[in-house]
Amino acid sequence: MRLASDWIGADVSAVLQLKNVHRSYAGVPALAGIDATLPNDAYVSLLGPSGSGKTTLLRVIAGFEPADGGQILFAGRRIDGVPPHQRGIGFVFQNFALFPHLSVRQNIAFGLESRVVDPVTDVKIVAGRVRDMIALVGLAGLEDRAITQISGGQKQRVALARTLVTEPSMVLLDEPLGALDANLRTRMRGELRKIRERCGVTFLHVTGSETEALAMGDTVLVLDRGRIAQSADAGTLYSRPASPDVARFLNCFNIFSGELADDAFVSPVGRLALGDARQPSAKPAYAIRYDRVSIRPKDAAPAGDEVRIEGSFVASEYSGAAINSFFALDDGRVFEVETHLSHAAPENYEERGRYALVWKKEDSLVFA
Amino acid sequence: MNATGIKFGLGLYTALFIVFLYGPLVVLGILSFQTGPEGGPQFPIIEWSTYWYRHLFGLTPPSRIAPLPIEQALVRSLTLAVMTMVVSTVLGVTAAQAFRRKFRGSGVVFYLIVLGMMVPGVLVGLGMALVANAFGIDRHWWGTAFVLHVVYTFPFAFLVMLAIFNRFDPSVEEASWSLGVSPARTFRKITFPLIFPGVLSAMLFAFTLSYDEFSRTLFASGRDLTLPLAIYGTFSVEVHPNVFAFGVLTTLFSFALLGTYAILMAMSVRRARRVAIQEEA
Amino acid sequence: MTMAATSQDRPAEAAASQDGKRSDRTFWLLAPGVIWMLLFLVLPIAMMVYVSFWTQTTFKIEPTLTLKSWITFFSSDTYIGALWTTVRIWLIVLVATLVVGYPAALFVGLFVRNKTLSTALLVLCVIPFWTSFLIRVLAWRPMLGKEGAINMILMNLGIVDQPIEVLLFSELSVIIGMTQIYCVFMVGPIAFMLGRIDPSVLEAAQDLGAGFWRIFRTIILPLSMPGVVVGAIFVSVMVLGEFATAAALSGRKVNLLGNIIVTQVGSLKWAFAAVAGVVLTVLMGIVVAALLRVVDLRKEL
Repeated sequence: MRLASDWIGADVSAVLQLKNVHRSYAGVPALAGIDATLPNDAYVSLLGPSGSGKTTLLRVIAGFEPADGGQILFAGRRIDGVPPHQRGIGFVFQNFALFPHLSVRQNIAFGLESRVVDPVTDVKIVAGRVRDMIALVGLAGLEDRAITQISGGQKQRVALARTLVTEPSMVLLDEPLGALDANLRTRMRGELRKIRERCGVTFLHVTGSETEALAMGDTVLVLDRGRIAQSADAGTLYSRPASPDVARFLNCFNIFSGELADDAFVSPVGRLALGDARQPSAKPAYAIRYDRVSIRPKDAAPAGDEVRIEGSFVASEYSGAAINSFFALDDGRVFEVETHLSHAAPENYEERGRYALVWKKEDSLVFA
Repeated sequence: MNATGIKFGLGLYTALFIVFLYGPLVVLGILSFQTGPEGGPQFPIIEWSTYWYRHLFGLTPPSRIAPLPIEQALVRSLTLAVMTMVVSTVLGVTAAQAFRRKFRGSGVVFYLIVLGMMVPGVLVGLGMALVANAFGIDRHWWGTAFVLHVVYTFPFAFLVMLAIFNRFDPSVEEASWSLGVSPARTFRKITFPLIFPGVLSAMLFAFTLSYDEFSRTLFASGRDLTLPLAIYGTFSVEVHPNVFAFGVLTTLFSFALLGTYAILMAMSVRRARRVAIQEEA
Repeated sequence: MTMAATSQDRPAEAAASQDGKRSDRTFWLLAPGVIWMLLFLVLPIAMMVYVSFWTQTTFKIEPTLTLKSWITFFSSDTYIGALWTTVRIWLIVLVATLVVGYPAALFVGLFVRNKTLSTALLVLCVIPFWTSFLIRVLAWRPMLGKEGAINMILMNLGIVDQPIEVLLFSELSVIIGMTQIYCVFMVGPIAFMLGRIDPSVLEAAQDLGAGFWRIFRTIILPLSMPGVVVGAIFVSVMVLGEFATAAALSGRKVNLLGNIIVTQVGSLKWAFAAVAGVVLTVLMGIVVAALLRVVDLRKEL
């Protein structure tokens, strides 16, 4: 028996499958053929710059907007064409979209009592499930408050509780932390993950912030111009972005365009030695992570396996445990270097002074 | 603005302006207490009395001045106003609901609806009378006049609801659907309670406009008079203070209506606030 | 597996049908209102145009097409006179409501920065509207009459010896009455537009040393223009379709197109009434179209 259920579990391990999903507005494509598979019981982040179609994708999955073409399979069932209230997919809005005329408790109970499929009519059962959910998301004591009387973080929890209490197998979260202030955002990240683990549902979390996507997702989908550009775990994504564009969104790579010659990459700032890391790509590019570069005096000689370019110092910026320094290269482009303060004390660079920017060629990533 | 002199001048002007707006009504109110039946609709007041109010309700001995035919007319006007209110509010809400989504030809439909409040009553009234003549339809206040009242009030209800829906966040409806609640139940449990203040305003608009409407009714209502038509009938004959007394009474009635509306509004606001107060305690 | 396979084989127009459902829904939501307006607004107006070409006999009209009623209308001094009276009264009342209403709107919308007070003042302006329109018209009779309030006050103050008779049953009384009744429609939209002006803009202008008139001309007046136009549309539409005020206050001295229609219908001259109606419709169309060119009504709402 145990074996059988495992077998079935494996069969439907994908909770959501998207096959060639299209959507366009007045002829302008927003989704240009999305293919993706979301595993059961996982935290998936969907990262994309604004205008990449990420909110559209979420709304198409939820059924708020129709797909123009393609298939959406949810728990093995085709759901494109099914109205939203029959899909069984939860949705948490960026602005929370709580029902302003209902109290916290009524907001959470609403779905259970009013849904079409399997409504819970027993007041006691509703009360019990709502109580458990309020405890789970940490809202105890606020049950009878009006929605206008609670803080942003509490609204976020109500929105989550309202959805989770209906026990969907997947919850879509549209920039759920976007409306919160920075402190709260960091705290809610951890809480969201914990709550998800306890409920065992799949979260699809849309965000425009690469740090949020990398920190939260077991899997990260990167959306670019209406297509999935990469689907990988955070570590892989960070070290091996699939394309120069993905590398650019991650906001931690210096990227040079140019041509691949036999043993080097010819870029506007000179020939750059190659490492072993290659990614197939239509657009050739050479990428080096901000934190792999060291800054040295102009006359320091590089070692044999190092790549060296020159730049003049522009400015630097503290961000917690790291300092980001900006250099202007000879072609005018800005080159960024991230130095972790645990490795070295911050140095003062001379404004407009020339420095050598050096990295190991194995650390580079070449798209060709 | 800190132009004190100008501010003072404009304030004084606005006070005069309000006197201008209210003056005739105050004079009318005073003259309604003229003695009767010999007292006329002018100063000076010969003697203060409630004669003309009693005259309205037929409580005075018969005199050469015929009582206003208001009893039947009042019932008709109220019935007509309620019918108009219900139909135009339903039409207004449904049409505004359709306008929440972009669709082809929305501009044409918008102006078609708004036209209803722009075209003078005398024109639609005339047109309706001609249509009724041509098709052999009898003209009645509950038929030909009623449909014209709705033509007039539906645009107001529509615009009120359009403004309400403009400020309405559609994501609360989507949230309800995503919880598995059907669109019909979502409208009843979520959308309607949230737009209710707007619906109330649309109803008030429709009721008062219909209750006061006479230029459409004039040609389209046939033989039976509504209240405004009864008043209009006095224009061509000598005016007696009984019309003034009647004016005072209708004004009081309107204020009672407005008061009811204000109370209903305050109640719906307080209901929202009560939950908040409970939690403070 | 078979389940999944069959569900995938389902025709791919699922999305198209969902789109179709949405436009169906829009159609059914709009159908009642649109049909109502077509039957009871567009059809009557079209009928009026049609009947204006019918043949008028003494008490009857016959659907034999003719231009006779039109020729009668445009060769009659009475009817042409009514047309010009309508245009004249409309223009005078339009200007009068603007002149009378603008300063009050300026005070309420711009100088009263206390939200409650400005709302209260606006409500105070609107309250008379809950009195019957006809009663408000009628209320001018005891004000303006020979033994009316104004004459009484003027004589008691010794300003005049004889009561001023021209106050009532004249064009003047119609203009006074209409101005009072309709000026609120001018005040409302203007005050609304003025209320949206950011006070810091005006303060900045004052700090730069601009005097009140200069600020008024360069900032306040241009920003209030949409309100003026919307108010003008309201007032124009209502004044052009008027007949009751003239009937109550002019003693039949002022005949507007509306009055012509009423008397023609009263004497069963349907075709003549229809001609007057079409002329009035065209006049209104020109006025409203001209005003709408200045401001997009839909955007202002």
